[in-house]
Amino acid sequence: MGGMKEEVDYRFTPGGVTRMVFPLLKRMKEAGILKGATWVSLNPGGPRHSVLDGIEFRNVLLDHESLAGYGKTKEAIWGTVHGLSEASSSGDMFWRDDFTDYAYYNRLSAETMRALDGEGDFDLFYVHDFQQLPVGYMLGTLKPKVFRWHIPFDRTTIPKLWIEPLSTYLNSYDVVIASSRRYLDSLKEFGFGGVARHVYPYVDPSDYSKPTAREAKALARGLGIADREKVAVVVARMDPIKGQDRAIRAMAKVRSQEPDLRLLLVGNGSFSSSSGGLKLSKGAAWRARLEQLAKDLGVQDRVTFAGHLSQRELDAAYVRSSFTVLPSVQEGFGLVVIEGWIHGRPSVVSTGAGVSELVQERANGLLFEPDDVDTLADQMARLASDEALARKMGARGRVTSRSCFVEEGVKQESDIMLGLV
Amino acid sequence: MEVFQVTLSDMLLPALSFLVIIVVTWVTAYVLGAIVSRLMSRSTPLVAAQAKRLVWAFVWFVGLLLAVEQLGLHVELLLLIVGLMGAAVIVGNRDSLENISARYFTDLYVPIKVGDYVAVRGQTGRVIEMNPICTIILSADDQLISIPNTVFVKEAVVNATPQAWKELTIPIMVGGDVDLAELERSVLKSCNKIRIHLDQRFPPVLSVKSRTPQSAELTLTLMVKEPGRKEAISAEMNQRISAILESAKKKGQP
Repeated sequence: MGGMKEEVDYRFTPGGVTRMVFPLLKRMKEAGILKGATWVSLNPGGPRHSVLDGIEFRNVLLDHESLAGYGKTKEAIWGTVHGLSEASSSGDMFWRDDFTDYAYYNRLSAETMRALDGEGDFDLFYVHDFQQLPVGYMLGTLKPKVFRWHIPFDRTTIPKLWIEPLSTYLNSYDVVIASSRRYLDSLKEFGFGGVARHVYPYVDPSDYSKPTAREAKALARGLGIADREKVAVVVARMDPIKGQDRAIRAMAKVRSQEPDLRLLLVGNGSFSSSSGGLKLSKGAAWRARLEQLAKDLGVQDRVTFAGHLSQRELDAAYVRSSFTVLPSVQEGFGLVVIEGWIHGRPSVVSTGAGVSELVQERANGLLFEPDDVDTLADQMARLASDEALARKMGARGRVTSRSCFVEEGVKQESDIMLGLV
Repeated sequence: MEVFQVTLSDMLLPALSFLVIIVVTWVTAYVLGAIVSRLMSRSTPLVAAQAKRLVWAFVWFVGLLLAVEQLGLHVELLLLIVGLMGAAVIVGNRDSLENISARYFTDLYVPIKVGDYVAVRGQTGRVIEMNPICTIILSADDQLISIPNTVFVKEAVVNATPQAWKELTIPIMVGGDVDLAELERSVLKSCNKIRIHLDQRFPPVLSVKSRTPQSAELTLTLMVKEPGRKEAISAEMNQRISAILESAKKKGQP
């Protein structure tokens, strides 16, 4: 199965986690730091067992009913830590029957890992993201356990009823890694008693191709974008927290100044809402709302919804763009800014995203408060009107992006892991 | 010269009696075990399981003695030897056995566990180990203090751990090949039914205390809202867990 091809035989689920964990394991294996790795994850449509580039995949399968309950709990946690108002009623989440499905999935994962440990005698368990948080506690082993918290961690958004169980689960890990400095600080203020670190998420630069200008043009034409138009690209799954509505509102304000500016929205549903995932209808509903908003603001001819693009097409979209926009209300990090930088494109970044820590105003990008659409519009206009500035900032961004290359991630994460084994 | 004649019926009859007694013993052990389980459904599942095992062992002990007697063997001497050996073991290890049994009762009925901050017989500290003979506490000045387990059932023990009075731990003994994920889901759902009596800040937690290929000892930890309801909650949850285990058994799960 080693000959499987991405986008042909398999596809990584949307989001940055798989995009960074897979290269991490590959690189660590190539460097001889890892002898082997077994990846246990939820994959409702996948085979129980597969191997890719020497990494074993053990998929946990869930029946439809359990999947629904798990999905609802996952969304409740996600919405709450992102400060979404509709999730504010999830304070009693740990007492809902849906939570028992979340616990069920976590216990299945822990039992699978335990059984595999019995065969392989692992040296360390590395658990990723909030969907698997209880696994560390459930594993019941003294072997080192590292947890990577990918989403925002703002202790002020944590409901009172969550404090105790969250502390119990977090404290079952030897090290917790947060995605940015601000979330690390919040984790400490929350009262996490173990070792906490921050490591910026990372990407493998070799995963990104350099499409020719002709390819970029062809993609743009396919999407109905004229050659004369300047493109601001937002790459994010269709989700209210990603703030595409803010970018559309900003477009409406910029339109008179920059009539040739087009907003390109790339992405569709998340794992939760995609047809291959949990099939929750959030993504489609949000896209419909955005389309309506563009119509209401009279910018439907200035906004293009591209949906899902393959990696090659996405690279072409970056190349065709003048700059990227990350309008997220809250974001654990925001790897798309790094991707834009790799392609030499500057970014307008919401301060609600962890990656904003890496943005030096007017050097490699521009910042705005997530609810300040006026400033977002000004920043977009600035980059659209001054190509030289955009190019200069893009070049600086390319340099900054190196701090989020997998080599740096491997170095930092290996140090943490080797310190435990 | 006397001639002993052994007929086929002389041999068959005792053998048949032996077999009949074994079968009757098996049936009796099964029936009494089921009755004990039913009678103790409101007790801790661990205690119910051990009581059932005790009844089972007793029935088989008596049954085997009766069966062996049918084969013409004299069991009085065997009984005497077993009895004397038992008495010698009890007398010789009186203190240890007292501690071991105290450990058993402490586990079930004295509200302390590893990690708690306790005061007993003038000593205070955090419990760091509870072994069959003694409980070890770590004092504030880093000293290890061993306290015989009997002290915990004979004397007043103060558990100064915050919220300790709220904590209700229910031990659950299951087979080693239990479907833990399914069991946990059912137990958590069951806890949700009585959530109005539980402190909402502390959701129920099921943990695996020990595990072998044959069995797993689990602990369900609940935090009650009012101290007066603790016993009632314990009884109800024990009953609910027994029903879950029974239902799992019927479905063919261990």
